Amino acid sequence: MTTPAAGQRSRVAQAIEVVDLCLRASAAYGRPDLGTRLAAARRTLADPAVHIVVAGEFKQGKSSLVNALLGVHVCPVDDDLATALPTYLRHGAQPKAYLLRDGDPPSREPIALDEVRGHVVENGHGRSNGDRPVVGAEIELPRKILAGGLVLVDTPGVGGLGSVHAAASLAAISMADAVIFVTDASQELTLSELDFVRQAQDLCRTVVCAITKTDFYPAWRKIRELNQGHFRSAGIDVPLLAVSSTLRARAAQANDAQLNTESGFPDVVRFVTQRVGTGAADRMAAQAAAEVIAVCDQIIAQFEAERAALTDPVVAQRVIDELNAARRRVEELRSAAAKWSQTLNDGVTDLTADIDHDLRARIREVLQEADDAIEDIDPSDTWPQMESWLQSRVSYELLANYRLLRTRADQLSEEVAEHFNEASGQVFRQLAVYNPAARVSDARVEHKIELAKMKAGKQAMVALKSAYGGALMFMMLGSMAGIALGPVGVGIGLVMGHKGLKDEKKRQVQQRRTQAKNAVRRYCDEVSFVMGKDSRDTLRRVQRQLRDHYSALAEEFSRSNTEALTAATEAAKRTQSERDLRLRDLDAELGRLRQVRQLAMSVSGSTEPASATPASGLSEVGS
Amino acid sequence: MTLIERTRGVLTRAIDVYRGTGHDATLAAVRKRLDEPLRVALAGRVKCGKSTLLNALVGERLAPTDAGECTRIVTWYRDGHTYQVVAVPRQGESRQLRFTRDNDAIEVDLGGLTPDDIDQMVVTWPSQALRTATLIDTPGIGSLSERVSRRAWTLVAADDEETPADAVLYLMRHLHAGDLEFLRAFHDSEVSRPNPVNAIGVLSRADEIGVGRTDAMASARRIATRLASDGNVRRVVQTVVPVAGLLAETAVTLTETEVAHLRRVAEVDVRDADDLLLTTDRFLERMPELGLTSIERAALLQRFGLFGVRLASSLLRRGVTATATELARDLAERSGIGQLQEVLRTLFFERRDVLKSRSGLLAVDAVVRAHPRPGSERIAAEVEEIIASAHPFNELRVLSSLRAGWISGKPDVVDDLEHLIGGAGAAPYVRLRLAADADVGELTGSAKDALARWQRRAENPLTAHEMVLAARVAVRSCEGMLAQLGRAAG
Repeated sequence: MTTPAAGQRSRVAQAIEVVDLCLRASAAYGRPDLGTRLAAARRTLADPAVHIVVAGEFKQGKSSLVNALLGVHVCPVDDDLATALPTYLRHGAQPKAYLLRDGDPPSREPIALDEVRGHVVENGHGRSNGDRPVVGAEIELPRKILAGGLVLVDTPGVGGLGSVHAAASLAAISMADAVIFVTDASQELTLSELDFVRQAQDLCRTVVCAITKTDFYPAWRKIRELNQGHFRSAGIDVPLLAVSSTLRARAAQANDAQLNTESGFPDVVRFVTQRVGTGAADRMAAQAAAEVIAVCDQIIAQFEAERAALTDPVVAQRVIDELNAARRRVEELRSAAAKWSQTLNDGVTDLTADIDHDLRARIREVLQEADDAIEDIDPSDTWPQMESWLQSRVSYELLANYRLLRTRADQLSEEVAEHFNEASGQVFRQLAVYNPAARVSDARVEHKIELAKMKAGKQAMVALKSAYGGALMFMMLGSMAGIALGPVGVGIGLVMGHKGLKDEKKRQVQQRRTQAKNAVRRYCDEVSFVMGKDSRDTLRRVQRQLRDHYSALAEEFSRSNTEALTAATEAAKRTQSERDLRLRDLDAELGRLRQVRQLAMSVSGSTEPASATPASGLSEVGS
Repeated sequence: MTLIERTRGVLTRAIDVYRGTGHDATLAAVRKRLDEPLRVALAGRVKCGKSTLLNALVGERLAPTDAGECTRIVTWYRDGHTYQVVAVPRQGESRQLRFTRDNDAIEVDLGGLTPDDIDQMVVTWPSQALRTATLIDTPGIGSLSERVSRRAWTLVAADDEETPADAVLYLMRHLHAGDLEFLRAFHDSEVSRPNPVNAIGVLSRADEIGVGRTDAMASARRIATRLASDGNVRRVVQTVVPVAGLLAETAVTLTETEVAHLRRVAEVDVRDADDLLLTTDRFLERMPELGLTSIERAALLQRFGLFGVRLASSLLRRGVTATATELARDLAERSGIGQLQEVLRTLFFERRDVLKSRSGLLAVDAVVRAHPRPGSERIAAEVEEIIASAHPFNELRVLSSLRAGWISGKPDVVDDLEHLIGGAGAAPYVRLRLAADADVGELTGSAKDALARWQRRAENPLTAHEMVLAARVAVRSCEGMLAQLGRAAG
């Protein structure tokens, strides 16, 4: 019941086939540099990781839903204790479990499957052995539904929007491919739940809301209707699925298909495998195909130049001149003075300053608010509340700051891509200009460039995602709670004297307020320091990845150019019969390459509707 | 002179001082409160079962309940000679509203007003239960309608001002140790001072824990115990009691017809019944031979919940209960409402004079501080004098200091202290941690021991300053008990 649709499987398979073809071709043409790019695409296709985050308030049945979806009791479910750490469930030939510990890089330590419970539920003995703190668990299961590379993430309850956990969940969601928001049928959505869904939708394009425990609450249909109404009036477009994990578990036990239908889970499975799984597979296939097209275009351009030089000796010199001109451009592209490189370096410098400034402004605002709040209260009464308020407030500002960083980094990546493509597009045009076929229709050349553009942009996006990946995650925000504010000395309000009681009290309160303000300031300093360092590191990673990516591209262009130049120069020296022979060869190779390209086009072409709404910011690059 | 008399005296003098300023009317209203029943508000997040619990406490279905968010107006339920509903609009005069009531909740015709126009509604209803306490139903916190939320908080307001309610029941569904929402609610600037003295936590909708498994109540008790010992929770409430509100409400209003319907379910073979009661949808649709219409089935579900239907039908089947009366008693007992009422009695009702005086004195203090005028200085001094010297207040103060963790010591010492100063109830046997049937001799002996013990502790130079102050209060408590026991013996 959980096999992915046949069409989807073949899409990825097709993509793999085309990539393999192209890999062989690039090896045959002596271009292993192009091969590395293809090999990377091949690896992604072979092991796609599609993350689905299961999020929601406490005790809504998130773990039960994950268990029921997988048909195994693997995530601990308890009446009282809630899940405290994220659990990643992925495919594996044998059931296996690992503990993830904080660190750089995070370590993975195998444990027995039944030990997971002790670690992931709250009050578990996660830190017992004095090692680095446990930040999550990973479980491998031989389940068919996960075989397509799906990774389900069971998260701790968010505990009200504005909490540190909510911010951590949202940070995780920003990295995910899809979100299942879980709310039970006992009551309609609360304000904080609705806010959470709204933010989740901002961060992740695929969100679905699962209403659980429909077996227990007779009014679940009414609740669903009410929730639909709330979503509508909030302008949130999220599908609602009503499910019963109890029924699904019972159905699995009794192998009862009808009961399974009654549980509502087939809809969830469809969502997971088709909307999320297929969507992700399509995107990946299209990306791989775009990669193939770009590689083909380079080789084709190179051959076309040689072909032009071979057909007409008069033209040959011009081709060589043009290629020499192109070479200068490519060299420019490779140099540090290239516009894209400057854009990147300046951009990252500006961005670092801006993000830092934004963070400072936000923290300053929090400090102001905290100071005002402290003026109104006696810290000895409300310190614990103050502490949790401060932590959640700060983590929200951090999340906002982080979102700004991502948006701006994406913009920068687009800008760099644009500048690079502007320059490289000219190179392409020059390489292709003596192609008679191209001369007939300039539009095709345009199209080619466009594709190259799109591909460059898209790949940069993917690269960035992994740059963010190491940065601010669950752990970062999760361990925020660990930064202590320290106690505020509580003078006892137990003085029994009559006179001067009020004055003394006032003095003590004033003193406590000063202490509290200082503690808040220290906390904010600490947080700004950690976060500031993290942002700078992230941006450095972004810079490095973009630089490496485009330098490699420039390197490839340079190589293509050199090859074409050599071939064209040699063409001039060849005899007529040699020329004819080479021309026949070239035509045959070009024919083959065009075929591969056509295949790749059909793989990516069939996803045209999907690429109409591509990943953030791609639309501008593509059009 | 008792505490309540002293409070009344201060209020009367304050009214004289403020005559003609407009504040005298407020103060007169406060004075009148001293003679009225204790005011208990039910507060908590949206949909945590406040109205249902209110009905269970009154023993009648008065407050309307629904699957969706229902209570949008702060509603007072008070005892009186006649049945009437009065709306207090934000602007304009109070007016009487028309209402109907069949066998269900009161349905009020707002008479052209919208819930937003109405500040509060007062339902007067002759009822034994309302004679002990006026109950105040509040809209939930965290409602999607923010205005509704805010209203609830103004009502359960702070320590420093006049509070409409003398005591508060905080309902929570599953309070997670890190559930910030609950504690954050106190961070609201309007409610900056949590006080465990006049608040009890209720783990409501306890039957839904474990999604209807029959051992849900046992689970709920375990959770309540854990919560009650959690430091963060202890700061804001005295204790936590689990209650299955729906079950309690239905138990106290159970009808013969309902029992007859349940019997039909109980007559079904166990395995078929399990299948039928697997989901609410199945119960509504399957087994036409049951002889119950879908409306009747839906009514059963609405009244009992799936857990209740499972429980009641199994009780009937196994012959644990035979009659409607027995079933009602059994369900009430299992719902935990009895325990809640007991806790209410010991922690609120037995202490009502203290709680009411506290509300009254805080109100005077607020007026005096905000509007000083000739003579008000003397009133302020008097209020401070009472607050500082009245022994019940000292007990409350030590109690909240204990709860806040300002006074610390060995667990058994702290426990002894908490009981002695009346933290678990004011009766001498509770304070001395003896059995309820302990005789005067036994009580006197134990009280003398406690007196000696705490005197030593108060005089020991090694005792921490805070503990010395607390020990002096404990000594006074022991002396008070001995005097009381002496009177009883003589």
